[in-house]
Amino acid sequence: MTLVWLLVALALIPLASLGLTTVMGRAAGWPLGAAFLVAGALAWPAVRDLLDQGPGGAVTWSHAWVPDLGLELALRLDGLSLVFIALALVIGALVFFYSTTYFTSGTQRGFYLIMSAFTFAMVAFVLSDNLVLMFLTWELTSLASFLLIARSGHAGEAASMRTLLLTFVGGLALLVAVALIVTRTGSSVFSEVIAHPVWQADPGFTSLVAVLVAVAGFSKAAQFPFHLWLPDAMAAATPVSAYLHAAAVVKAGIYLLFRFTAIFHATVIWNVLLIGLGLLTACLAGYFALQQSDLKKLMAYSTVSQLGLITATIGIGTEVAIAAAVLHTIAHAFFKSGLFMTVGIIDHQNGTRSIDRLPALRRAMPFTFVTVLIGAASMAGAPPMLGFVSKENIFAAMIDAPGASALGLLLLGVAALGAVLTFLYCGKIITGAFLDGPEPKDEVREARWVTLLPAAIPILAGVPFAFLVGRFDGPVELAVVASHPTMAHNPGFTLWHGFSLELWVTIAVFVIGLALVSRRAVLRPKVERDLLSFDGVGVLGALARLATRSGGAFARLVRADHPAHHVGPIAALLSLLLGAGSLALWAAGAVPAVRPGVNQFVDVGVLLVVTGSVIALARTHSRIGAAVLLGGVGIALTVQIFMLGAPDVGLTQLLVEVLTVLVIMLVLRKLPVDFGRGRKPQRRVKLAVAVLSGSAAALAAWTVMGRRERSDVATYYLDNATQLTGGDNIVNVILVELRALDTFGELAVLGMAGIAIMAVFASIPRVLLDPEPDPDPESPVTYVPDPDIDIAPEGTRPHRALEDVVANTQPLRLLQRVLVPILVVISAVLFWRGHNAPGGGFIAALVAACAVAYVYMAKAADGPVSRPMIPVVLIGGGVLVATATGLLGYLRGEFLQPLYWELLGTKVASSLVFDVGVYAAVLGVVMVAFNLLGADDVKEEVTE
Amino acid sequence: MILALTIGVLVAGGVYLLLQRSLVRLAIGVGVLSHAVNLFLLTAGGPAYRGEALTNRMDPATVADPLPQAFVLTAIVITLAVTIFLLALAVIGRNDDTWRIPETGEEHDR
Repeated sequence: MTLVWLLVALALIPLASLGLTTVMGRAAGWPLGAAFLVAGALAWPAVRDLLDQGPGGAVTWSHAWVPDLGLELALRLDGLSLVFIALALVIGALVFFYSTTYFTSGTQRGFYLIMSAFTFAMVAFVLSDNLVLMFLTWELTSLASFLLIARSGHAGEAASMRTLLLTFVGGLALLVAVALIVTRTGSSVFSEVIAHPVWQADPGFTSLVAVLVAVAGFSKAAQFPFHLWLPDAMAAATPVSAYLHAAAVVKAGIYLLFRFTAIFHATVIWNVLLIGLGLLTACLAGYFALQQSDLKKLMAYSTVSQLGLITATIGIGTEVAIAAAVLHTIAHAFFKSGLFMTVGIIDHQNGTRSIDRLPALRRAMPFTFVTVLIGAASMAGAPPMLGFVSKENIFAAMIDAPGASALGLLLLGVAALGAVLTFLYCGKIITGAFLDGPEPKDEVREARWVTLLPAAIPILAGVPFAFLVGRFDGPVELAVVASHPTMAHNPGFTLWHGFSLELWVTIAVFVIGLALVSRRAVLRPKVERDLLSFDGVGVLGALARLATRSGGAFARLVRADHPAHHVGPIAALLSLLLGAGSLALWAAGAVPAVRPGVNQFVDVGVLLVVTGSVIALARTHSRIGAAVLLGGVGIALTVQIFMLGAPDVGLTQLLVEVLTVLVIMLVLRKLPVDFGRGRKPQRRVKLAVAVLSGSAAALAAWTVMGRRERSDVATYYLDNATQLTGGDNIVNVILVELRALDTFGELAVLGMAGIAIMAVFASIPRVLLDPEPDPDPESPVTYVPDPDIDIAPEGTRPHRALEDVVANTQPLRLLQRVLVPILVVISAVLFWRGHNAPGGGFIAALVAACAVAYVYMAKAADGPVSRPMIPVVLIGGGVLVATATGLLGYLRGEFLQPLYWELLGTKVASSLVFDVGVYAAVLGVVMVAFNLLGADDVKEEVTE
Repeated sequence: MILALTIGVLVAGGVYLLLQRSLVRLAIGVGVLSHAVNLFLLTAGGPAYRGEALTNRMDPATVADPLPQAFVLTAIVITLAVTIFLLALAVIGRNDDTWRIPETGEEHDR
């Protein structure tokens, strides 16, 4: 349980950071950093439990997450996770303390929020025993890294995208690996997966998963070929680099490799990949580091190089190697984060971090000098530093690598080369910043203690730790056993091992290094020449451009300007399916006989009207004609619907038809009078597709319609609806009580449509709605001449009859005073009686919408019918009211369950309130239409 | 039967309009097609039963199926909203039925 509390505490810290940064600004780093340490202390019971259990022990916690899929939320604290959690929390706290004074302005709310969220993700990643949880938290850490880099402004944009791309490639590899493991082993809990026999039984599968996990680990830990994101990420602020890129994000990759060592330590391809690419990265990045004159970039490349060394050591896979790798991970986290922070301090005090521009700071900034000296010494592996012990152990592990002894010596040689490069760039740091260069100006001084101390602590801690390195035996042993199936292994760390091969190698490295550093003036220009004409960033950019171009080429195959190119084939295919399906049913004899009474006389009338209207609608070129004919089709359908025994539906259809025609007219006044003409061959194809679809639909309808008794559902509703709800209008009762969730969904769609229309209109320039007429009269389709109406000259009565808008609309406005109240009353009556007679929220709202339309039409000039926010309030309010009614339904057990009570003698249901929500939303949508489509920005002239 | 023919005619008209270039015709086509589908849904209850579904006045032998009616009611209102949205998109610019952009003279008629 303690583990859960730890995670909960870490999850609350980001939330707390929001409040703390508002109150304290960037000084919020003090309480937040302290909170990390407190959270770590909270986990002490679990840690003590773990230490009591000894090697191979673990503290676990699990909870059913998705029982149907067999997913468990499993957390596991063992030696390995303990080391990484300690690193994350301690270094996180120190970085936060440093950030309080490093940032000179701003509240840094985003910084603290994302960093603390990242810590939570990291600790959750390290604690997770469930592979799915591991993947989720892995992606969270990638995301946090991306966000932090992207915050750094313009320089960070491209860099953050590259980081995102590369770390997500690793995430994808991890996802595939997790999926393979879970399907093959049937379990998603890591501790069970380790013991599964598939790893011995199927070497091909094991190799595949090993490669995928290695790719994931490499991408996070910035190994070749993913190494380019880490130096790129230096665009982020120094505390970000100190934490994420020294101690946390990259360590997540290393942690992954440690964890899976338990499975893959003897898999050949794993060993080869890790050792080979690790050592390659170590030397390559070491050389790149040597080429840099920007101190921060140098640090970045040195991180990559050190991680390469750790990766290679993990790849060896023996207990000695794992122990050495763990110790070096700890040492590296400490000195690297400290070095990043001191480089930030140097940058602050001097305004630059380029070696070429820095003066010789050893006297002006003595404390910083000593700190960097110690840190660089630890990195180079000089005694008596912690880095020295860990490097010695790494060399020892390489010599003892399984296989031929010549192989071990080869590995040692390459590692030694890496060590020489490390020594050289450490020397570059010290000489470039502190020893070489002009005398500094007077204003360059030491930084404040408050900034310097958190930066110095991790480095200075390396000194006493080196002498107490025997104390590390315990935790490191736990970590080793956790990641490697041995019974016990005492690493036996000491500061002095005796005159062994490792020590001679280290001495040789120092001698060569010192010799080369002393010749730095001559060597520097030669080293800083570029090795190749391109670099990783260029390669990635070229790959991205290639992908974009090929995507475009594929898209051009199906690009169409008109949707008809896509709609046509879809319609044709669906018709063929419908037709074939119906014919298949007929052929199988599965179609029962038609019941008597399906055809009635009125159907014929409707069919005739509809056929005539549709044919005319298809052929007409006049837009107004099309609007009228659409209205005609709608009226015929309304008659048909009433005749089918659906009064509510018929009323709705009638009102919707009226409103549709009105909105079409609003739109048509801004468009040309006629439609354009399409090309003849295309017209024939469209006609063919249309006739095909129509025939298929008719055939399908005939096949399934009217051949059975009333369904059971219908019988249920007809018999029981009134008893259940007390309403006589069964359709209305179904809408607002029995199937209210569907209506709720429909409300949401309605609301979305209204808001979408407003959003579209808000996002386009107003000039697009009322554009200048096309000056080219040659283009018949875009040129919209003013209609040529021959009327009497101005001032005469005929002219006034057509042009005098105020007088023409006066009767409408007079009638409005009577008509609108009547419509409002009718709307209210329809609303109230909907439960027992045809009516209800929809119909009432549409009647009110007609009143709104009438008000619009009676205006003398085009203008909106209400203030712009009223429809938004109506739509939003309607949805909220419906939701609130639904939540009220929980009192009776379920969302949207209706409640009943007596009011003034009549039975009232909460569905009435739900209907109010419906009313508001429908009214709001129609208002939006009239506000946006009916108003013009340019005031029309009102002729008197 | 006759209702099936009505549905067929409406579908044919709707699809034909849906294949046109003008966005206003598309919106009208959507409307006609939705009429067809609504009619199809309504007749799913059985066109032999045409009584109104009001408990205090219905004839239990011939009363219509109320469930499709409820579906169609919401569908009609949603179609209104969608038609309004399409028409709002159609009104942007000079003409929704053109293949030529007047400002640049480009022609796109693929």
